[in-house]
Amino acid sequence: MKLGVYICHCGVNIKANVNVAKLTKFAEQLPRVRVARDYLYMCSEPGQQLIKKDIEEHGLDRVVVAACSPRMHEITFRKALRSAGLNPHCLEIANIREQCSWVHEDRMKATQKAQKLLAAAVSKAALLEPLEEKEVEVTPAALVVGGGIAGIQAALDIADTGYKVYLVEKEPSIGGHMIQLDKTFPTLDCSACILTPKMADVGNHPNIELFSYSEVVAVKGFVGNFEVTIKKKPRYIDETKCNACGQCAQYCSIEVPDSFNLNLSKRKCIYIPFPQSVPACYVIDPDHCRYLLTRDCTQCLEVCKQGTNAIDFTQKEELVEVKVGTIVIATGYDLFDVTTKPEYGYHLYDNVITGLEFERLSNASGPTTGEIIINGKKPKDVVFIQCVGSRDKTVGNEYCSRVCCMYTAKQAHLVREKLPQATITVFYMDVRAFGKGFEEFYDRVKQEGVKYRRGNPSEVYRRGDRLVVKAEDTLQGELVEVEADLVVLASGIIPNKQTAQIASLLKLSQSPDRFLLEAHPKLRPVDSASDGIFLAGCCQGPKDIPDSVAQASAAAAKSLIPLSTGKVIIQALTSFVQESDCRGCGFCVEACPFDAIELREVKRGRRVLEVASVNEVLCKGCGVCASVCLSGAIQQKSFADRQILSMVAALGEEYA
Amino acid sequence: MDKEKLVNEAKAVFSREDVACLIGYGKDSIGFRVSPIFIRTRDEADQLFFSPLCSLSLVNYLTLEKGVLLEGNKETGGEKIAIVARGCDSRALIQLFAERGIPREQVVILGVPCRGTIDLKKIEGKFPDARNCTEVTEAEGMYYIRFDNESHEVPKEELLADHCKHCAFPNPLVYDVLLEDLVDSKGAAYSDIEEMEKMALEERHEYWKDKFARCLRCYACRNACPLCYCDDCILERVSPQWVNRSVNLSENLMFHLARSYHLAGRCAGCGECERVCPVNLPLMLLNRKLEKDIKNIFEYTAGSNLDDKPLFASFNPKDPNDFIF
Amino acid sequence: MLKKFDPNIMAFLCNWCSYAGADLTGTSHFHYPPNLKAIRVMCTGRINPLMVAAAFRHGADGVLISGCHPGECHYMEGNYLARRKIFVFRNLLEFVGINPERLQMSWVSASEGKKFSNVVKEITEKIKKLGPLTTFDE
Repeated sequence: MKLGVYICHCGVNIKANVNVAKLTKFAEQLPRVRVARDYLYMCSEPGQQLIKKDIEEHGLDRVVVAACSPRMHEITFRKALRSAGLNPHCLEIANIREQCSWVHEDRMKATQKAQKLLAAAVSKAALLEPLEEKEVEVTPAALVVGGGIAGIQAALDIADTGYKVYLVEKEPSIGGHMIQLDKTFPTLDCSACILTPKMADVGNHPNIELFSYSEVVAVKGFVGNFEVTIKKKPRYIDETKCNACGQCAQYCSIEVPDSFNLNLSKRKCIYIPFPQSVPACYVIDPDHCRYLLTRDCTQCLEVCKQGTNAIDFTQKEELVEVKVGTIVIATGYDLFDVTTKPEYGYHLYDNVITGLEFERLSNASGPTTGEIIINGKKPKDVVFIQCVGSRDKTVGNEYCSRVCCMYTAKQAHLVREKLPQATITVFYMDVRAFGKGFEEFYDRVKQEGVKYRRGNPSEVYRRGDRLVVKAEDTLQGELVEVEADLVVLASGIIPNKQTAQIASLLKLSQSPDRFLLEAHPKLRPVDSASDGIFLAGCCQGPKDIPDSVAQASAAAAKSLIPLSTGKVIIQALTSFVQESDCRGCGFCVEACPFDAIELREVKRGRRVLEVASVNEVLCKGCGVCASVCLSGAIQQKSFADRQILSMVAALGEEYA
Repeated sequence: MDKEKLVNEAKAVFSREDVACLIGYGKDSIGFRVSPIFIRTRDEADQLFFSPLCSLSLVNYLTLEKGVLLEGNKETGGEKIAIVARGCDSRALIQLFAERGIPREQVVILGVPCRGTIDLKKIEGKFPDARNCTEVTEAEGMYYIRFDNESHEVPKEELLADHCKHCAFPNPLVYDVLLEDLVDSKGAAYSDIEEMEKMALEERHEYWKDKFARCLRCYACRNACPLCYCDDCILERVSPQWVNRSVNLSENLMFHLARSYHLAGRCAGCGECERVCPVNLPLMLLNRKLEKDIKNIFEYTAGSNLDDKPLFASFNPKDPNDFIF
Repeated sequence: MLKKFDPNIMAFLCNWCSYAGADLTGTSHFHYPPNLKAIRVMCTGRINPLMVAAAFRHGADGVLISGCHPGECHYMEGNYLARRKIFVFRNLLEFVGINPERLQMSWVSASEGKKFSNVVKEITEKIKKLGPLTTFDE
């Protein structure tokens, strides 16, 4: 057994706090080490060449790299080994940067620790086995969860490449929050006008199968071969028959608040969320329908019978199974609940509204056909309050929602356009106008006579028939009270309320802000930590529309890689059974979270007995089986007991 | 125990053609000793007996019998083995059925409700010269002992094996034939364990240091345990070497931690480990400590239910979390 | 003069949460004492408590096992299975007179870099107070 040890300076990142020369000398005298070298940047091309050359010249069997975290460059060095003809799994990395030089100040102690980490890596490396990487076929289809702008874009990009897409949306129509918006900042495009063509494309795309009014309830399998169960809620209307003529709604006698308009208007119990809905199909609200509740009304049914006869009260919840190779999560966001800041009086006063309510109010297809009318009157004095529920530790949201500054500016502009005489005041903490054209737009709005006052209002209360916004103007250093007859709260973005549920369904992590966590904040912002599952849009963090679209296209591209190569390499770190040691107790079978182990009969001498056997395709390599095995018969490749124990022993030694 | 009933039931079992062997207790020729006997014909059944001296567990002998099925052999030709089993033995059997997938139907269990058994070391200590014990019976908290030409009465407490004092499962939990009426069960008692838990950490450390220092690492405790049945024990392996060969406090402690941990959620409480220990280590204290905690915290009792998932292959999201740092 | 006690602490960190969290500690340059040395495993569910015993026997004065928060395990339930085993093993340690505080378990997610450094600091302090583990010296 011949080992090569390669110690990286990482510029000064490692060298500054670890005595690399000493470490190299130390490595030279470790057992089985044939060659030990240090280099400025091991991950660089010349660094890798150093390793490759040694493998060829010295016939190294195992390689140890002491550098940054294996989570950074394990793959880089594995490739280097492979290209030099060595099995890529004959590599062990000692993490002397993230877990040593960057976290310890005392150079001597950091060097001592680096020695231990290196000795542990060397002792494990000597016990590493070459591993075979197996390929499996990929189901040439993708699942996109969420039909907002991000999900729509991802679905279209994948479908346009020629692969089948299953798009699942929990609402009766796709469109997400974007379809509720009036204009988009900073260009003032009509939100629906730019979105509806894409929605129509989804509806008509031969490669997209849309599951609206549906939810993903189970996901099994792994990259390349996911099995997804989708729950289709009953619409009580046959999607293939309904032509959205709307006769039914005219005859329906039940009126309920219209959630699409944020309950600012009413809709019928049989309804289509908005005229351009995709699918263009009505739906019956099961919580209010008199037929479904008490069977004493069949108005819609009767009128529909004379038309396409699409209403079908016998529809039941349906579970559909689909197989896909990759998954894009685009489950979007919810708005911060402004009632958790009662000082702003949202729950008390009709003329305190949220930003999204303003969008409906200002929208031509909204409850006021686009006129800004509150309590029957056009407001004269309008106040916007920014950062409601964002950058606010008291409500647990430390982050910036990234869209409120600009949507407030846009809304202020819309007020100016529609109510030229109104006074408009914006209370802000900082204005973050970081995007393309944002600063210019902000400047324009200020030029239009919108008054920006720096300060976080403490209270909104009623005086007579008017509202008063009380704040400290922190630039003037004075307490101000601004009268208003419309107050718009720029409510921030929070993760979709079902995020935790989605995370547990797909084994994804959440960051402390509760949004879904990407695999790497800089370099893998679209990947999740689970292979084959990608993130798009606001499920990963607050974003505006162009950022959501960009991430969606990126997620689509990433998810297309396995689909187009048609093969994925299944991870090699599976469990394996040393049959002669297996006692057949089945503890591993019971403990395996993935049902990847079964008992099968083998002959041992004269006996026929059962031993454990691992299905390497199902095994995800957690090693739970190995920890419950009393005879040490089932082990995890590259994390076998003897390999872990060798590290323990090395860490226990004292080195000079 | 009525010997006649035992013998008759054994013969009845043998009248079935599918039983190849019956494992029971036979009287040894020296002193108070009792031996396992393997009955293969109806007539041999007359040798069977049961008395408070029957402190050894027969479960381990299943694997020695021809029906190697208990070593996991699936090809048995359908022969069954019959076995005399006390409460603790029945738990070991349940655990074996569950772990090794042995069909319950392959074992015919003659269940003996047990009033506790005598610690051989204690009775031999009291009567070191006894050569030919004829009978030990129990009544009203006393043992009536007859050997050579003497008869004695000894309070039960003086001779009862320690682990029997705290037994919560005197009655067999599974059986095909019940040889006597069920006896009253006291419920689990852990007063001795609780006493030890009250000791200061240092004091307990000293206690076990003293004990483990005596361990010869003869592996008798492991060999006698009905639930230690690996072909190749990890504690004897060189790679990985969990425990190295030297006999010193450090390795002995490692050995006993591993042994008792391997029995967590599995120990049937038969006390074989303690019975066979040549240096009298109180090994059942370790086993029962874990049994107690596992029962109290996870509501799990080894060998009580054939359908239980193994303790460490299952979890409850509400498992204790306070110890998490 | 007696040498100042500088405890040897070994950690088993799960790849997905705590090892990543420890990397984030590094990337964020939050400092912690160098006493703790980590061994990466894919999941805390991989850890056999006997590895903890082995760590003690090989000279560790303290051991940390750290993984994903309950419900967030990359492998669904590995951390729950680990918690149960470690709980039982701590009780066993305590019963044979080894302070169970020498075996710590914590939940550190991939985003909790600060928490990881705090955990290491506190555990190092704790083990320093307990002094060297001498049980396995003989």
